[in-house]
Amino acid sequence: MTLAILCRRAFSDLRQNFCAQLITTMVVSLSILIFAFFTLLYFNLQHFVDRFGAELGLVVFLSEDTPKDRIPSLYQKLTGLSEVEKVTYISSEEAFGRLEKFLKDEKEVLEGVDPRFLPPSFEIQVNRAMFQLKRIKQLAGEINKWPEVSKVQFGQEWIDRLYIFSGLVRTIVAITGLLLLFTAAFVVTNTIKLTVYARQEELKIIRLVGATNIFIQGPFLVEAFLQGLMGSSLALGVVFACFRFFQGIEAKSELLRGVNICFIPWQYTVAIIASSVLLCVLGTALAMRRSLRL
Amino acid sequence: MFVFFPISSFQYQVSLPKYKINNMISIESSIILLKDVSKKYSTDNVVFSGIDLEIEKGEFVFLTGPSGAGKSTMLRILFCAERPTSGEVWVDGVTLSSLSNAQVPYLRRKIGVIFQDFKLLSNYTIFDNVALSLEVIGLGKKQAEQRVMQMLEGVGLAGKTSHYPLQLSGGEQQRVAIARAVVNRPSIILADEPTGNLDLQRTEEVIMLMEELNARGATIIFATHDDRLFENTHRRVIRLFNGRIRI
Repeated sequence: MTLAILCRRAFSDLRQNFCAQLITTMVVSLSILIFAFFTLLYFNLQHFVDRFGAELGLVVFLSEDTPKDRIPSLYQKLTGLSEVEKVTYISSEEAFGRLEKFLKDEKEVLEGVDPRFLPPSFEIQVNRAMFQLKRIKQLAGEINKWPEVSKVQFGQEWIDRLYIFSGLVRTIVAITGLLLLFTAAFVVTNTIKLTVYARQEELKIIRLVGATNIFIQGPFLVEAFLQGLMGSSLALGVVFACFRFFQGIEAKSELLRGVNICFIPWQYTVAIIASSVLLCVLGTALAMRRSLRL
Repeated sequence: MFVFFPISSFQYQVSLPKYKINNMISIESSIILLKDVSKKYSTDNVVFSGIDLEIEKGEFVFLTGPSGAGKSTMLRILFCAERPTSGEVWVDGVTLSSLSNAQVPYLRRKIGVIFQDFKLLSNYTIFDNVALSLEVIGLGKKQAEQRVMQMLEGVGLAGKTSHYPLQLSGGEQQRVAIARAVVNRPSIILADEPTGNLDLQRTEEVIMLMEELNARGATIIFATHDDRLFENTHRRVIRLFNGRIRI
């Protein structure tokens, strides 16, 4: 049997059983839609955590007894690190000025205090492309061992918390995804079973005239492939439309500006479509096992 | 009155199947052979037992017996819709017990089956119903179209190709079923009470069609419980009674 005959029969079946096919496609679409929304949420959270971590950066406090002539060489050493994007030196005086600014009207409390009581420091901006919490922790540990350094500070606690949260979201997304995929598989299998049951007589006759299993099953598998493809594409299309809508809101809103929401990476988008297609095809093959007996 | 098949459109193949099946026997003239065949659904539901039967190539036989005698079951065994409980069956040189499920469709392409209730696809046009047998064997669209048109002309339905089965009379529907059964030129035709739902005139038409197909080389097994169909014929009559054959 040629592929052309198989496809012609599949499209003819699609026309004749349009409602049943549409219902199956909608079920697939809704399941993928919910899953895709969770995935979108997860990726944006992950994106936020990464960005937040990178923006926090590192603050390297120097010992009070660090000679001033060591500052340029330390600066050079820091800028030479691959994880570092930008290094800013903050002298004790500058730090004092910042504190005064921060205290505003209450800066009198600093009266009589030595402007050099705050230690000089380096503010390090981490290279975003290379941002990894584990690496930043390592880097902080390495810098902390330098004799001139008294303390290295970064928002470790915050980042740790965010990572735990994003891990939780990832687990929720995975469990929800699995449940939704099982639901979709169950509904697809049963819809196909109903379709096969409704067309039992027709399949019997087709078998009678010498049709092979692939002739009988082939059109159903093509239909399942299309259902999976169209259902998931439709769902991802809706999610993408929502994403663009939120992007528009983000651009207009002062509060949300800079949030920089992102879409599901293309590799995951392809994986979602492929899983949906596979699910429909396998569900159909499973549903048709009995009808292929002699 | 219907038109006979145009001679050019109908040449039977009586050669062995093209596919390879290990357990093939060489029978000179027998196309169907049953040896000690039994069929029972349970210990107290025995359809027939110890059946020995030989049908020669090109033969036209009537298979008769009262309702429930096992005529349909025997035909179903011949086209592999059922397996015998014991015994061996050969169809066109092929041992059915050695036939895998995947090989069954290829054997069925050599057998045309006609039923009392026509078994036409109501959502297919007449043309598509007949073309189905050719589509299954993967015949090219143009060639299939030509062959279906010739066949429908042969059974006098050339003007009704785009009709649906329910728009036709019973006799016409049976002619469509016959056209579908023989369009791929099978060497064996199994007719299971094909005239059961037809009036006398339509019955005669079907018998004439069968005679015509047999004259072109097809082996025909015509199952019927109606004695009138074969009382004045020279054809062999196989009588199934109480699970046994009486010739």
